[in-house]
Amino acid sequence: MSRVLLVLGKDLRVLRRSPLLLSLLVAYPLLVAALVGLVAGYGSSKPRVALVDEDHLPAVVRVGGENFRINDAIREVGKNVHLLRMSSGEAGRALRAGRVVATLTVPPGFLNDLKSGIASPNLVYETTKGGISTRVTQQLQALVYSLNRHLQRAYVGTDLHYVQLILNGGNATFVGRKYHVLGLERMHTLLLTLPKSRARDQVAQFSRIAGVALGFTGSLLASTANPIGLERAPEKSRSSLLSAQVQAYALGLTITFLALLLAAGALAAERDENAVGRLVRGLVSLGELIWAKVALAAIVALALGLAIAVVFGAIVEIGGVVGGEPWARLPLLAVGLVLAGAALGALGALLGALARESRTASLVAVLVVMPIVFVGLIPAQVVPVAGWISDALPFAHAVRYFSSSLYDARPWATVARELAWLAGLGAIFGAGARLAARRLLA
Amino acid sequence: MSDAFLRARGVARRFGAQVALEPTDLDVAPGEALALIGPNGAGKSTLLAILAGALEPSAGTVDRADGVRVGWVPQRPAYYDRLTARENLELFARLEGEPDPQAAAERLLERFDLPADRPTSTLSVGNRQRLNVAVGMLGTPRVLLLDEPTASLDPGQRRRLWDTVTVVREQGGAVVFATQNLDELELYATRVAVLQRGRLRFAGPVDEYERVHAEEVFT
Repeated sequence: MSRVLLVLGKDLRVLRRSPLLLSLLVAYPLLVAALVGLVAGYGSSKPRVALVDEDHLPAVVRVGGENFRINDAIREVGKNVHLLRMSSGEAGRALRAGRVVATLTVPPGFLNDLKSGIASPNLVYETTKGGISTRVTQQLQALVYSLNRHLQRAYVGTDLHYVQLILNGGNATFVGRKYHVLGLERMHTLLLTLPKSRARDQVAQFSRIAGVALGFTGSLLASTANPIGLERAPEKSRSSLLSAQVQAYALGLTITFLALLLAAGALAAERDENAVGRLVRGLVSLGELIWAKVALAAIVALALGLAIAVVFGAIVEIGGVVGGEPWARLPLLAVGLVLAGAALGALGALLGALARESRTASLVAVLVVMPIVFVGLIPAQVVPVAGWISDALPFAHAVRYFSSSLYDARPWATVARELAWLAGLGAIFGAGARLAARRLLA
Repeated sequence: MSDAFLRARGVARRFGAQVALEPTDLDVAPGEALALIGPNGAGKSTLLAILAGALEPSAGTVDRADGVRVGWVPQRPAYYDRLTARENLELFARLEGEPDPQAAAERLLERFDLPADRPTSTLSVGNRQRLNVAVGMLGTPRVLLLDEPTASLDPGQRRRLWDTVTVVREQGGAVVFATQNLDELELYATRVAVLQRGRLRFAGPVDEYERVHAEEVFT
């Protein structure tokens, strides 16, 4: 054990003397995580959709007595999808080439149908197959929902205008003809000037009840148009940047990159420096050498992982956001960081032993990190094979452990299961590294 | 085992299909200085690494007498470039089980006249080789295995190195060294082993080698 510690101490000293390398090793995965997050966020939030206007909609459309500015409506929709105006032919080509994920067509006669109120006009959309087509459909449904809300408001306003006319009387235009409407109130007043009779009283009573009932029409129409509303609470909540999943992925990506690269490079460097031959002469066995590299990866993963968690925790505290227990769960997180670092270090040692030479080992480790991470990001429910592959690698288990240990109310079952996975994978990769380490002596 | 420090029996080594050393028998006895000579690629470094325990033989065994410590100085320096000479010596002294690693490092720094606190990657070729030898002498070895130790040293450094190495032999230890320098053979060897194409062609006294075999070896 003391020999493992001596080699470990040497490795840490060497690492400390390479500040540029250490900085890059820390900064690179964080930068990649941020870029992946940005690209994924942009890609998912703003799919490109072609807008084909075959009805030649004017800049301002008057519907239900209200003016609609088409550009304003498009701008509002643009918060969710990136609408690009195209001709029908261009849109078809762009859809086939994958430059847009959907086309949205305003068919001829759309505006006339909308204005007449006799038939409901349809917008027509077409999407690519598979991929994000489901999400694009949802975005387009949200777009139509948003437009319908605007129209409903206008229609309700128009309807209320007619109700007011029936109640209070006045001049109105309907289907191109002008009318003068007496109104229930004036009708009631006129009725009372007529000679008293049972029939007069019955009609007067009806006009009074009708007036009261029509007085409630406005709120009834509004609630019919929108039976359930959705209101955003003003309370502070955790932003997506601070979400449990983002933090878990940032931790997972960073320590995967670091642990793999360090263990692979450090083991192969023993051969580059010709030291391995001197060590295995009874000073340090190959098994102890593997242990030293695994311990190096675990220690660096622990130190860096805790630093990242502390920074996240501080931001959460300063921001006064709710959810999670950033400080109370640090010890639990530390256990996972050590074991995940060790399992990844064992995998890195295996790569280092197979590559034998430190430059090759580092390159192989860099090339291997990204597939390991991305296969771990694919939901197993969507691609089961990706789930099986990521189960055989430490990254996905590490991410699930970090997420659960930091934010689950009852993390123990998940934590225990993922720890068992990490320990098992670490043992398998460590044994593989020990077998492959004989190549370092050749 | 009789009085030999090291006894190799049938040791051989292959690297894939290539035979680096054919089955070889060799003893290393107390008080002797055994020179390994032969052309490049003859198997000298492979035999030394096997005797040192740094390389596993493909066949055969190497027996080491009880309590005998073996020091190994490979042809290419074997230590850590990002550590200083002092740090390297202290690290290997600890691994060798030296009772006072710092004192052992200090003693060797002085004996080999090494810059103590510069990263070894910045040392001259001669200093790097002297450090290589110094690391091999940690643990007070009874047998010292040297692979062309003077190849990159100037004449003064060579003389000082041999003075230091000779002490091991004079104290009852043994020295085995590979060399291409036949002057060293005459000056420092008591016995010689000749390797050619991985095969041991001769092992015996230096004067017998010079009388009978010297013409054959490098032709």
